[in-house]
Amino acid sequence: SSLIRSISGSVTSHVLQIVSALEAVVLRSFGPNGGQVLFTKDTGEAIVTRSGTRILTALRLKHPLARMVVDCVWKHSRATGDGSKNFILLLASLLRMFQTALQTTTAWRLAYELREFGMMKLDEIICLGVLPYGFCAKLENDPLDTHYLCVKKLLTPFFQTRLGQTHCDMISHLTCEFLMRSRVANNHPSSGLHFVYTNFPALHTTVSGVPVTCSRLIEGQVIHSDFAVHFPQTDKQPVKAVVFTQHVQPKLLGEGDILTVGFEDQAFKKKSIVEFTAWSEKSLQLVFASLQSFGVSVLLSAVKQSAAFLALAAQAEMCVVECVSEDELSLFARLSRTAPVLDCCAIEAVNVATLTFCCPLTLGVQRYECVVVTQFYGNVTTYNWSFFHYDCVLCLLFIYLFMYLLKLNFLFSFHRYVHVAFPHSEQDVVVNLSSLVICGSGKEQTDQYASAFQDSIRMLLTTYEPRGTTTLSDERTCLLTDEKTESASSSAPDLQQHVLDSCCVVPAGGAFEILLSRALLQHGDKYPVSRLLSDALLSVSRHICTQTSGRFSPAQAKVLTQCDGFSSKAVMSGSSLESVSCKHILLQSVLWCATSLLRVDKILYTHVVLNTDSQKSAGDSWDDTG
Amino acid sequence: MSRLVPKAPSACSDLPLDNAEICHKLILLKELLTSSFGPTGKLKQIHNNIGGHVVLTSTSSVLLQAISSSQHFVNLIKTSILNHVSRFSDCGLFAAVLCLTLVELAKQSGLAENVSVRLNKYFLDLCVSYMQGEDCGCRVKLDFSNSHNLITLARSVISSKPACMLTVQEVLHISKLAVQAFLLTLPCDKPGTITLGRTVTITVEGYSVLNSEVFTGLLVDVTCDLCLNRAINLNSGALPVVVFSTSLAGDFSELGEGIIEVLAGVDSESQILEQLLELGKQVVKDDVKLFVCQKVIHPVLQQYMRSQGIIVMERLGVNLMEPIIQLTGAQPVATLHSTIPASAYGKVMGISIKQIGSKTMLHLQPTRESVICTLVLCHRNETVLRELKLVCQKTEHVLRLALKDPAALLGGGCTETLLAAYIRHKCNEAEAAAQLRCSQSEYLLGMEVFCHSLEYVAKALDHDGGDSLIDLNHAHHWNQPVETMKNSLEYSLGNCGCGLLRNSPGMKWTYLNTAYSPFSASSSSADPTAQPRVLDSFTAKLNALQVAVETANLALDIRFIIQDLN
Repeated sequence: SSLIRSISGSVTSHVLQIVSALEAVVLRSFGPNGGQVLFTKDTGEAIVTRSGTRILTALRLKHPLARMVVDCVWKHSRATGDGSKNFILLLASLLRMFQTALQTTTAWRLAYELREFGMMKLDEIICLGVLPYGFCAKLENDPLDTHYLCVKKLLTPFFQTRLGQTHCDMISHLTCEFLMRSRVANNHPSSGLHFVYTNFPALHTTVSGVPVTCSRLIEGQVIHSDFAVHFPQTDKQPVKAVVFTQHVQPKLLGEGDILTVGFEDQAFKKKSIVEFTAWSEKSLQLVFASLQSFGVSVLLSAVKQSAAFLALAAQAEMCVVECVSEDELSLFARLSRTAPVLDCCAIEAVNVATLTFCCPLTLGVQRYECVVVTQFYGNVTTYNWSFFHYDCVLCLLFIYLFMYLLKLNFLFSFHRYVHVAFPHSEQDVVVNLSSLVICGSGKEQTDQYASAFQDSIRMLLTTYEPRGTTTLSDERTCLLTDEKTESASSSAPDLQQHVLDSCCVVPAGGAFEILLSRALLQHGDKYPVSRLLSDALLSVSRHICTQTSGRFSPAQAKVLTQCDGFSSKAVMSGSSLESVSCKHILLQSVLWCATSLLRVDKILYTHVVLNTDSQKSAGDSWDDTG
Repeated sequence: MSRLVPKAPSACSDLPLDNAEICHKLILLKELLTSSFGPTGKLKQIHNNIGGHVVLTSTSSVLLQAISSSQHFVNLIKTSILNHVSRFSDCGLFAAVLCLTLVELAKQSGLAENVSVRLNKYFLDLCVSYMQGEDCGCRVKLDFSNSHNLITLARSVISSKPACMLTVQEVLHISKLAVQAFLLTLPCDKPGTITLGRTVTITVEGYSVLNSEVFTGLLVDVTCDLCLNRAINLNSGALPVVVFSTSLAGDFSELGEGIIEVLAGVDSESQILEQLLELGKQVVKDDVKLFVCQKVIHPVLQQYMRSQGIIVMERLGVNLMEPIIQLTGAQPVATLHSTIPASAYGKVMGISIKQIGSKTMLHLQPTRESVICTLVLCHRNETVLRELKLVCQKTEHVLRLALKDPAALLGGGCTETLLAAYIRHKCNEAEAAAQLRCSQSEYLLGMEVFCHSLEYVAKALDHDGGDSLIDLNHAHHWNQPVETMKNSLEYSLGNCGCGLLRNSPGMKWTYLNTAYSPFSASSSSADPTAQPRVLDSFTAKLNALQVAVETANLALDIRFIIQDLN
């Protein structure tokens, strides 16, 4: 039972209206001078963002075509982490160009040509018109510092558009440092990116109420739970730790179990209840005895343990951390190369992790625990506080000493976390693991920074490894060696491979758009859509250039003259770069989106009666409202 | 499926700072907070429509929590300031007033938002590096060889909360107690890792503030008379203590979810009680004098131990567990079937009865230097007592902040005027404007916005219609009371805001809202022995300044509001 409600007007003009409306929203936060958008969720939670995808999905649009566009944007940015606002701008200008072209041709014909062009010719034109002017940022080729210089230049424009200009330098420096420390030893550098991307939730800590400039890196892993029992581990070197994922004290009765209690020494061999609890405690004591035999002093647990467990741990002078999240435990297991204890009665050496230290990271302003050993502290004469006088020089002198000896591990946090670090060894998984501490004046800000961090890593992954899953295949190194010999004559899929594999970077700020639009005019004569695409790209670069340098035409001329005197050094000397493969993926998804929009002929609004009889009979009274 | 409702589209509004309603609300909020600022701030009474406590306050944390706006833009600023207060306890109103003034003035100046944001960040960096630099004129090194500065710092915090209703003498008394309690929580005999102790605060209503006191050790409420008679005899020698963290009521709470089937004639309860009494016998044998349990103790076991001369404390609660463990050095016990290890016992030096107001308390005295102390606060009624307790906790926090960075800032508005004078003096529009990619006139406009905002905060300290001035030698803040306005400046001014400078011949002043030619403030005081009378926490104020500017920048940067209406 579907009803056709409205079929009126040309769909393409409709599409243009919708995309222009989206463009108007996105332009508010476009580029380094763009502003932020405050979005309040239905739960009342506030989000501050500059991310195009976040803004567009927040709008909760009703129109089906608009939803289709937003869906395309969402898919694109999930894959590359970047370019959602560019997507809308390019789509809008492309559709505007089509509006005039449609006077001579049909939408369907245009869609066909566009698709054809995107499939067959675009890669070739990028190879001819853009790649020669770029710099190949292959990970294998570069020494590490050049590589991270390039990463930093890629990150700077990204954070400029995502977080604004005030903090982008600091944040891109921090991210770069973070990635440098988190690279995986003896492995392809991009596996470090993969490692950070998958473990990001466990690798960062957000702290609100403190300025962004306090964000920093700290060595080791931060476990986001407090000690349930804490003993300072100063004299024990190294610290041994064990992970539990379940209750150590056996629960006597599971659900559905029946315990029959009787008198002691009866004919039925029934035992008294006291013996059951005694057995439970005894088994717990055996676990602790075996832990002590391994010299374990830190216990991490995924669940809340019993009071007896905590008390026994305190008596054995062990630290206990409860309710550790699964992400953190799996990262811990990976870094320490140990396995969590499955059977509490059989703890083995493989379960015992070795740490260089384990201390509370707090910190904070409220609690100052966790401090560092002070050697000469013991020599200071103990002062008896009971003789307290306000102006007692001795006691205050003492505090004076105290303060200088005390090296507070100060994180401005209310929450006390557990801070662990792993010893370095030859076959380290991660070279120098660090955790990221993200500060901000509010939760909205720290969340914004955290999601920008994650997207930036996604963006870098797209830059260095656009094909995603395959890491370091032989085929790829082959392609690299005869890079120069391959030319426009090869078939289309190889060319695409070539564009993606080249890891090419060009100066940020509209250079790609200007170069490509020129190349489209030079090499794409045979295709009528190539001219349209060229004009569309030019109008996008106009937006970008007016953002960065104020006027457009001088900027365009500057880019072209710069690129013509091409050398890779010149490209690298610029302060910011962007990746060709990200742009390539963006172009392809915009073309795909435009094609599918153009192919829509009519919109049918269907009305579905939600309340069928069969549901009604099964449902409750509140089903009637539908 | 029938419950699926299509999501309604979100409501969007453009450029919130051009919206008259939002601007009006921001101004209202600024006026409200400005009027509560400082030692002479006006008090606010908060009550809700369904009854409950009436709160009398001028504290930012309480005030801001009570305000909630339908405009999420306003709430964004509010939560930012609250986040700062929750971490630093101090300078919340300073941050709020500065932030709101910055937003308002930047809007009025007509500067483009992104230029304002860049300039604010630039001036903030200038301020921060000045405040942390060696030649900073507004920072005072906290000298720990003399408690004077510590007490001044505490007094500044306490006197800036007029809702405590304290006289000058009472403020000094409470400040001294706060400093004493703070010093008692610093450990001094343990080498290695240092753990700061805890102050437990007890409030007693209906007595003069001067009756407030600090005790070493813990004061615990006791209700039963039986143990009191015993306690009087126990005040010499180290007395063994045992602390249980599990329930001793003989229940089966930890058994699990299954079903227990009891054979006819079996008395499980008495079996368990027998087990508990075994425990009691061991405790008696080990000569324990104080038996503490976090949860409930079986009455029979209680009775048995009392008859053996043991003081029993049950239902202590989780909050007091940590201090009592720190005080006694005991380890909590939670096993019932094994003998209590000797290492689990703790010790107290003495147990005595303290009668404080209407409350009878058990005083547990520590054996060695303990880092636990109890602060007993007295005041005339409940409302002011609640505020006083809050203020004392904040003071302790501020003093602890001073441990990290032993410095303080001149209070009374002097830091703000000094910073404004410093920025004006450092101004080099040609160079900085090129660096910030803005025109020189934009730079000068942005500088005036920033400096005026700082000076506005200094001016906000006065609520009686007096005039605010700045002297042209040291750039300190001076206040001319309204009753002396007819006299010339030389005769009507006494001390500057922080009390470091005295009115002396040859000084020149100008009103705060008038332009003055930039000068370099000299930091040397005429009288080298002079001590500032008002000090602010360095760490808290530095953070407040940064949070205020960052929040203002965030507010200026928001161009679009999307509100989900589902």
